[in-house]
This record gives sequence, C-alpha cells and structure tokens, in this order.
Amino acid sequence: MNESLISPFNITHPTTVQTSLFALASLARFDPTGRYVATARVDGTAAIWDLDTRAAVRVLDGHVKAVSSLDWSRHSRYVLTASKDWNVVVWDLANSCVPAQRCATLRFDAPVVSASFHPRNSRIILALMSTGEAYLVDQRKAHRARVELCEVQDESDDEGAGTSSRPRSAITVARFDPSGKHIFMGTSGGHILVFNTRTKTVCTSLINSLVAVYLSALQMVARHKVTGAGAIKGLEFTKTGRQLVANSADRTLRQFTVPLYPPPAADGAFIDQELEPTHRFNDPINRTAWHAMSYSPDGEWLAGGAADTATHKIYIWDISNDGQFASALDGGREPLLHLHWHPFKSSIASTTNQGNILIWHCPHPERWGAFAGGFEELDENVEYEEREDEFDIEDEADMIRRKMKAEEEEVDIDTVPETARPRGVQLHGVQAGDEDLAWADQELDDDLEGWKMRVIMEDDWDM
Amino acid sequence: MSVEMDVDPPPQSAVTDGHGPSPPEPSEENHTPKPDVPMTESSPKPDASDASSGKSPRHGPQYKIRYSLSGHTRSISSLKFSPDGSKLASSGADKIIKLWDTYTGDVLRTLVGHTEGISDIAWSNDGEHLASASDDKTIRIWDMKVGTEIKTLLGHTNFVFCLNYNPNSNLLVSGGFDETVRVWDVARAKSLKVLPAHSDPVTSVSFNHDGTLIVSCAMDGLIRIWDADSGQCLKTLVDDDNPICSHVKFSPNSKFVLASTQDSTIRLWNYQTSRCVKTYSGHTNRTYCIFSCFKGKYVVSGSEDAKVYIWDLQTRQILQVLEGHRDVVLAVATHPTKEIIASASMEKDLTIRLWYDEGPSM
Repeated sequence: MNESLISPFNITHPTTVQTSLFALASLARFDPTGRYVATARVDGTAAIWDLDTRAAVRVLDGHVKAVSSLDWSRHSRYVLTASKDWNVVVWDLANSCVPAQRCATLRFDAPVVSASFHPRNSRIILALMSTGEAYLVDQRKAHRARVELCEVQDESDDEGAGTSSRPRSAITVARFDPSGKHIFMGTSGGHILVFNTRTKTVCTSLINSLVAVYLSALQMVARHKVTGAGAIKGLEFTKTGRQLVANSADRTLRQFTVPLYPPPAADGAFIDQELEPTHRFNDPINRTAWHAMSYSPDGEWLAGGAADTATHKIYIWDISNDGQFASALDGGREPLLHLHWHPFKSSIASTTNQGNILIWHCPHPERWGAFAGGFEELDENVEYEEREDEFDIEDEADMIRRKMKAEEEEVDIDTVPETARPRGVQLHGVQAGDEDLAWADQELDDDLEGWKMRVIMEDDWDM
Repeated sequence: MSVEMDVDPPPQSAVTDGHGPSPPEPSEENHTPKPDVPMTESSPKPDASDASSGKSPRHGPQYKIRYSLSGHTRSISSLKFSPDGSKLASSGADKIIKLWDTYTGDVLRTLVGHTEGISDIAWSNDGEHLASASDDKTIRIWDMKVGTEIKTLLGHTNFVFCLNYNPNSNLLVSGGFDETVRVWDVARAKSLKVLPAHSDPVTSVSFNHDGTLIVSCAMDGLIRIWDADSGQCLKTLVDDDNPICSHVKFSPNSKFVLASTQDSTIRLWNYQTSRCVKTYSGHTNRTYCIFSCFKGKYVVSGSEDAKVYIWDLQTRQILQVLEGHRDVVLAVATHPTKEIIASASMEKDLTIRLWYDEGPSM
C-alpha cells in the first residue's frame, strides 16, 4: 500500500544492511507474507522473528540436534523443521501455547538434511536424508503413504547377473517446483532428476535373481545431465518456476530454462536429455563456491551467497540484463552461511556464521519536501511557465460552485487496489483445471489466507 | 443478523426503560407501519432477512435509539466497538474504562488503573486486548478476558491523546501533547520509533489497512502520512485556511483519508493527488476533537450542537440527524457489521447512546 507513495520507480536490489538480528541462527527464511523470518539454530531450536518489532515471537523447541532446514506453508500457518536427529517436526503457529506445541512429527531412519512442504498443501512433505535417499510423505487420509524417490536404473545396466553395474548416485538436493507438480532432485553424479509428484508406479527391484520386491515409487519424468557440474549442491526456482538455478561442486551457478514436461507416460518412459544452461555465474577471480542463492520475486535479480571464509559477500546478477554482474554486497567479516530473498520486497536475509541475521534493504532517500504540504522536490531547476489564468481573480461563488461540481464525482472507499505484489503468478507449465494441482488440493490443510498470528504478550512466555 | 433481533425486542426494551431518561419508544413506532409495508412494497417478500441486505440503496438511514447507557461520571472521550461488535468500550475523563454489551446494554466490566483522565482507547484485532491513552502520560494495555492491566507503555512526556493498533496488532501507534508520534512493540512494551511529527499536540493517529502507512494530524492543522517501516514522512496534506485538525482516519481501502477539522467541516482527501474530493458540513465543530467514522455508504460524526450527523458519502447530503444528547457529542463509533451507531456526550449528559437501524419493515 505504501509503494505508491514511496517509489516512483520499481524495486531494485537491496544495497545496505537495514538491521541485524542476534538470533544464533544457522539459516533464516522469510515467510510468504514477508512479515516474519524463521531461523534455525544449531542447538535444535527454531525461532520465529517478527520483522516489525525485530523480536523473536515464538521459539520452537523440538529437536535434540541441529536444525538443518526450515520451510513455511503457503499462508505461513505451519512451519516445518528438519533436523539431524532424524526427525521432521511440523508446527502450527495458530496454536499459541507456550512453549509451542508440535502438531506432527515424522521419523526417518537417517539424519534429515532438508525437508519442505508441498507448495499447495502442507500435508505433503518431501524429505531428504543424509544417506542420499529422498521420501515423499503424504499425510492425507486418502493418500497416506511414504514413497521413496528412486532414479530409474538403465536397463542395460541391469543385465547380466541382475545387479546394477553402476552404483546408484546419492541424491544431494530435493525440492518441489513452485507449482508442486514436479519434484526436482540433484544427484552426486551431476544429474537433475524430475519426478511427477502425483503419479505412482510399481517398480521392480531385484534383490537377487530369484526374489523380486515390488515397490511403489513416484514416476520419474525426466533425467537431465548437467555436463561438468559435478555433484549438485542446491536448486532454486524463480517464483514462476520458469527458471532454475543449480549450484554445483564446480563452484558455478547454472541457470536453466525449465522445459515443459508432458504428463507421465503410462509405460514409465522418461525424457533423458542434457540441459544446456542459459547462464553461468561464477567468481572468476577467487573461484569461491556458493553457499546459497535466491531469486528476487520478479525473477530479475539473482543473489548468490559466497562461501568465503573471511568475508560476508553477496553477489547480485541482473537476469533481465542478460545475467550481467550487478554488484557485490559486503556484509562485514562474519562469513555467510545462507541467504533468502523477501517474497515481494527488495530485501534479503543473510545469515552469518556467528548466528546473526542481516536484513538487507534498499533505502529510500528521505524526501524533506514531503513535510511541507503542496511542495514537490525537483532534481534540478525548471523554468516555471505560468498558466494563462493562473493569477486571475476568480469569483468566489464560481470557485465554490466549481469545487462542489468536482466533488460530485463518485469515490470508491472500499475496493482495495491490486497491489504490486504478484499474488497470482502464472506458474510455469500449469493450465487451468490441472489434474496435479487438483490432486494436491484434496484434503487441504486449514492454512487459510489472511489468518493472523496471535500476539503473545512477552510476560506470557518469557517468564 | 436481523432475524435474531426480531426475537429479542421485548426484553431489550424493558432494559431501555430502566436506563435512559428519554428514550422514544422504539417498539410502538415500529409496529404501526408494519402492516403498510407489504402494500407499498412491490417486492413480494419484504421479510426481515431481505431488509438488511437490500435496504441501503432504497432509502436512507433510519437510526433509532435503543439504549441509553449511564455509568461514567465525567465526560466520555472515546467509544470503540470490539472487532466482533459484541462489546462496546468507553473511556472518559473519570479515569475509567467501561465495557458494555452491544446487544443488551449491560455493563460488563469497569477497568480502573489510570491516574488521570483517558482520551482514547483501541481494540487489538482479536478483541483480547484494549489499549488506553491517558493524561497520566502512559498507555496501558488491558487483558479484556480477565479485565486486568497487563502492560504500561512509558515514554510520552506529556498527555497521550490518541492511539491505534496496526492490523496485526503487534504494533501500536500513539500521539500526544508532546507533539510526537510513537510506534510501540506491544508485546514487549517497548518504544520502537519516535517521530517528531508535528509542532502542536497530535490529535489523531492511525494505521492503514495493511499496516504500511501511518496517518497523523495535529493542532498545527497538518495531516501527515508516514511510512510505518522506515518512519519517513511521505506526504503532508494541508488546507488553505489551516484549521486545527482533530481527527483523521484511512478509508477502508486506504485510498483516502477522512479528516475532521475545527472549521466545522469533514473532508475526504485523496492523498495521492493531495486533493480534497468530498466535504461534509452542517454540524458544529469549533472547539473539540470530535470523532468521525465511515459506516458503509455514510459518514458519521458527533457535533457540538449535541447531535449526531449522518451524511451520504457520495452526495454529501445530511441524511439523518440523531437528536437526544444534551451536550457536545465527542465520541461516535460504528458497528463493524451491523447497523448500529454508538455516541457519547460530555459533562451535562454523560450517557452513551446506542442507535439501531432496523429498516422500514420492522
């Protein structure tokens, strides 16, 4: 709402640190409303910070080992924490009990490296183990399942004695695309695998030549080789899902245009195709690796957090200008661990290895002219041209009549203008009446738009 | 909504008789025209449920007094309906806050704690807390479930005169005679920002619907719009004659601000273009800071001639004048959902009146 008064030009990228939150965090993520950040700590707790008051408003204490990843549900009601203690915990922020109560716990048989909610339904969760296995957990009554996501093995490899000649490469990163239709996974072998979230197939896994085990698995729709990348370390999408950037062991960020995948074939066939990056981003001088990257909400900027051991550096590339390097933000001497771009503002939250969260913004210069009514600030002098009738003496009655006439015009005090926020972005590869989305919308969670987190008075929980 | 009211009137009017000094008998007046309605109306079913939805376009407001509530011993400064509309809070120069049941007129609670008179009150969005601004230079936060004071916000160096919550109710904005606007972290009772906003006492301050803007006005006659996040001044609205500005609020969509000035005028400003798009006049406002409110297609305000005025938002015509108070009507409040107006008056009267519009079919 304040955009119209503040910015004559559209948002640009952040340039300076606005505030620093002393949070003892290892990573921080903005919520979809942009009002909070969730922070993960090494001691196994997580905290929700209110950006208005810059104070921690909830502490989520449910793990005995470090929290490795965090996610917010669509309208910020649920928060997921994944931990090295083999658990994923879902928290309901609408429950204002003190201390916060978990609303679901998922146990796995290995430390969890990352977990995320399905973008449309928090009852569907994708989790990745440190052992390189990924699971899709569906907690809905009609679909209750825990499915492992397996790369389809080439049949040629399986010939011979029935044992795979090629070791299965470990999955290093797993995430939903913004529509939730597909799951994208990066492997240690430099592949990006794409699975359809909805379609399950029965696949045969040969334990030995005599015993075959039938497993239900998600159907793989594509496998992309990324040449020269090495192990994939991270994947990030633009808000629309049209672009994808991959971080890999060769210290290069590669941006791809996400192809349109056909509905999964009945015979289990998949696309096996190399993806050619549209852009490559790297640091040509220091050859630093990247800890994290994040797109701006409009997809016009890409921020990369450098894995520099001595400084806190964020590189910004201008995607709309053919991926040119735009600037490097210097956040001081505490090395960067993680960064996340605000869902609609020109703001970044970056986490330092000392546990501080830097909130970056793009400051607006103070307009002193705003303090005087009817003044307008000019950048340079302008020759004033007097209107013909500007200083004519007008009959007062006429003036009042004219004013009254002008006031006849109807005003609309109720309709909220469409904000600059891209509320309904056109998601890549989604048509009206999409089956995959309808499937995800079954048994929706009660995470409704416009719910508000209750303000807990500090004494209620801090004493 | 109106259906449940149909059931209730007999016991309610009994309460009215007990409280008010001169309430016109609403039930009698309402009963006589009732048989006429089906004949004059062309629509086949003018029953009560239709009336509430369809009546506004057809005819003007028909507010009638329902309750007259007494309890305050000194001038009543502010009235606010709770977010769900079930309760009405009132504050006064007698240092107390009273909580009333909107639908029965009963006193539910009296909150005592301030050491000087109270100028303004505000509900949090969930109706659990109430904030009050007092001449004892403090703002107090009250737990409305229990009825106790839970926080005191210290910082203003002079009388606190006005305050409002932001939509998420994690922040509170206040203004006072120290000429500053302050933004508070409610949960931690901490001052977050002090804006050197005006050069005279700040008379009114509030957030817009998404909490990104703050509007303030003061006795210096200026209306200022601030960025809530950075605290920067974004706009100043000023009228040619610079009259003292006594109340200001955003329209429901935050595209306009409604400002009352002590030249007996209420103006609707388009703050983008800095132009006044509507002026409402006819009431008297020369001395006091009188509240004005939106109510659907109407604008409602108190007046120093002891009346409440209702204007048509678009045509600026006075549609109804509520008479009955015997002193300046300082505070008015409009119900968030139903057709109810509350008004309160100063020393010579000391009553709060609840006016109900039940449409012609009642």
